[in-house]
Amino acid sequence: MVLKVFRYRPERGPEPYFDEYEVPYRGEMVILDALNYVKDELDGSLSYRWSCRMGVCGSCGMMVNYKPRLTCSTFLREFYPEPVVVEPLEGFPVVRDLVVDMTGFMEKLQAVKPWIIRRHESPVESGEYLQTPEEVERYKQFSMCINCMLCYAACPVFGRDPDFLGPAVLALAHRYNLDSRDEGWPERHQAIAVDWGLWDCTFIGECSVVCPKDVDPAAAIQREKVARTTDAMLSMMLPFGGQP
Amino acid sequence: MSGPYPLYVPKYPRSWWLRKGPYRRFAAREITSMFSAAVSATLLAFLFALSRGPKAYEAFLRLLDSPWMIAASAITLTALLYHTATWFRLTTHIVVVRVRGQTLPRGLLIVALSVAWLGASAVVAYFHVWF
Repeated sequence: MVLKVFRYRPERGPEPYFDEYEVPYRGEMVILDALNYVKDELDGSLSYRWSCRMGVCGSCGMMVNYKPRLTCSTFLREFYPEPVVVEPLEGFPVVRDLVVDMTGFMEKLQAVKPWIIRRHESPVESGEYLQTPEEVERYKQFSMCINCMLCYAACPVFGRDPDFLGPAVLALAHRYNLDSRDEGWPERHQAIAVDWGLWDCTFIGECSVVCPKDVDPAAAIQREKVARTTDAMLSMMLPFGGQP
Repeated sequence: MSGPYPLYVPKYPRSWWLRKGPYRRFAAREITSMFSAAVSATLLAFLFALSRGPKAYEAFLRLLDSPWMIAASAITLTALLYHTATWFRLTTHIVVVRVRGQTLPRGLLIVALSVAWLGASAVVAYFHVWF
């Protein structure tokens, strides 16, 4: 079976190109197995990220036949006997071959403060912040993100402007805003109500389609918009801005 | 992470919305929303004609009866039906309805919204046709 792989080797020149490799086909092989075969047996210069090989670490996301996929859970049999095109995730700068630059994503991730924020921290001796199963259920789906960035590769808003905070980061902000232990939404809102933030999502919805963990970032973003609009309206209508 | 070598930055095409089926459907959803503005403009023109007296009102009705206006109305109706259907599909992603601790399935919400929509349309049609 033929694997057509995107190559960018900056020491060789500024333009990318494609290399074709013939890999043995077995029904249980995934794209990542085929790439490992290429690396081990055919061309040791091929660069790509991978780690867990079981759909948990989120490292091996690539464009497979022009769709963002985790290569560890995309089987060759889905495409056999046709050739498969493997490219780096769309919308990101390419460091080398199939490796994309994650710097911008990591900075955005930190910017939304994805941790529990309390107005007043309780001392450790006072015990845990307790939650009911219903309170966990409110945000659990949005906490399943593995930061694989497939949603970014599917998002044309991010594609057109790499400054857009993007689906995974906005969904994560929503996840913490939904958490009953958290009191940091005004602080987090400062980070997401910016140019190329929450309000720039046009709800194309492909982020949710490609998400391998069913996080549904598109829903998270729209629900965050509704929550913040409701807050804004209430603060306008209630005495003292609705603050106790 | 730029390192000693330059990054390759691919260009994202302006025509992205034509590239894939889901993107084309998104573009269709957004474009069809403009037809609701056209309906509002027509209603405003209708009220304006009404305010100018019976002659202007009759003239406006004749305009609405013209073949090209009927064709435009048919196109508008088709566009709005598409837009409404996609709107319901999207709304159910956003709205979470919980009954006795259970979240209602999206399919049920789509059915409920569609029934409410058909009901409202039937009421409008009833007043329009029989009054």
